[in-house]
Amino acid sequence: MKTRQTSLKVALAALCLFVGGARAELVIIGHHGGPDTITPQQVKDIYLNRSSRLPDGQRVVAFQLPAGNSMRDEFNERITERNDAWLKSFWSRQVLTGKGHPPREVSSANSMKSVVSSTLGSIGYLDSTLVDDSVKVLLTPQP
Amino acid sequence: MYSVYGTTTRFALTSLTLTLALSLPAMADDSQRINQLEQRLDSLQKQMTESSLEKVRLNGFFSTGYTRANNDAGYDEATEKSDLETLSLFGLQSTFALGRNTEAVLQLVSRGDEDWDTELEWGYLRHQFLNGIETRAGKMRLPLFMESETLEIGYGQPWARPPEAVYDPVPVRSYLGADAAYTFNLSGSSVQARAFAGHLDDDADSLGRTVSVELRNITGLTANWTNYLWTFRGVYARAEATIGGTPPLGDDEKSEFMGLGISYDDGSWLLMSELTRIEVDGFYQDTDSAYITLGYRVREVTPYVTASWVESQDNYEREATPLEVLDVRRQAYSLGFRWDMTTSVALKADWTHARGFGRTTGGLIGNQLDALAGNPGGRFDSTDVYTVRLDAAF
Repeated sequence: MKTRQTSLKVALAALCLFVGGARAELVIIGHHGGPDTITPQQVKDIYLNRSSRLPDGQRVVAFQLPAGNSMRDEFNERITERNDAWLKSFWSRQVLTGKGHPPREVSSANSMKSVVSSTLGSIGYLDSTLVDDSVKVLLTPQP
Repeated sequence: MYSVYGTTTRFALTSLTLTLALSLPAMADDSQRINQLEQRLDSLQKQMTESSLEKVRLNGFFSTGYTRANNDAGYDEATEKSDLETLSLFGLQSTFALGRNTEAVLQLVSRGDEDWDTELEWGYLRHQFLNGIETRAGKMRLPLFMESETLEIGYGQPWARPPEAVYDPVPVRSYLGADAAYTFNLSGSSVQARAFAGHLDDDADSLGRTVSVELRNITGLTANWTNYLWTFRGVYARAEATIGGTPPLGDDEKSEFMGLGISYDDGSWLLMSELTRIEVDGFYQDTDSAYITLGYRVREVTPYVTASWVESQDNYEREATPLEVLDVRRQAYSLGFRWDMTTSVALKADWTHARGFGRTTGGLIGNQLDALAGNPGGRFDSTDVYTVRLDAAF
């Protein structure tokens, strides 16, 4: 009886570990035809209109999740280090002075995956638990 | 939008892949490469579909605001009567892509204080060469100030109004001409130099009247360096100015503009400062101006303080003439905040106190008209202006 209880505990602990290991984590994803890795600074440069190219020289097409999405908040906190109000004002200045256009907004995590997987030179970000073979993980930003 | 496929092309693509797959030895890395190629072709096709959808882009901006002063000195035309029109405007901007690197940009603006008459503010063609050179031709904003390009786009600025000391002495906005800019990107910073030339023919308000302003043979140069945290800017421009009025303020006078700017923005702290000098032969005021703004973002709210100063340097040219009222000496202190209420809408509130006019009218329209009407005793030696403003961009 006691052994059974113990093994149940072990199983529970293992399950917790497993779930813990697969917890939602921000990852930067890209098209399979693109580079294999990218640095946080390179991602920041792309999302703040400082660079229009991927590390391998391809013209980049950046995508972002809609406002209010928790991964977008995490991306802003870890990568751009700017809040949505700042970004909105920044991009309206860029657009109205002809300097560039904000990352295209997709409606959901699923459409993020499908546009990134089908757009050459794409870059996007996603919850790690939703990533599959259709896209390539370029970076897992460390907190 | 991204699920739109040309079925025929898709079919053709699949048969192409099939043919390729059949003609090659069935090796793993080959099929991998074919897969990759297929994906590339697939996306290229999608990109083409997308770009054809983005031939025309439409953007706009809108502002409205309430202004009231504690007297009729006339800072930014504010008086004791509340005013809603001075800060109200509506702008529409459209960009037509004429090719991968060429576009036509059109900006139409209707202003409350001009009876909402719609004016073509910008209308130019832009071409970007791949080597970092960009050229434009048409009607464009005169790039004298750090915020020239966003002069009327309140949503893009931290203030309730750009500091009058620096932005008010130039009474015109856009010129007809051409420019060329070269941008050089270093790792972590960027340098841009722009040369411009053209002609300007417009109207401006002076002493309660509309006068014509013509700037011939405008030539100028701007240089900009930024590491995306700090930005430094320098500008020099010259022209021959003919300015109307009674008596006329200038006839083909040599005019020069010089400016230095610095800004800092780390997402939280905000610093902006500009130092400008205008020199115009004839009666038109030669002025030196400066301002400094410091702000700090707390989530959606950005409180700021601004101190500014303007002083005319050629009062002797107008001494003992009625145009003495154009002499200016003024300091202004502003306290305000910007609140990003919702996406694309910002509310701003501002209190500005102007003083230190010395023996001048402070360059304020109420004081100037009073003095011209022979009532120098009625001059106000300070003013407080209260502003609430709503800005949107879409």
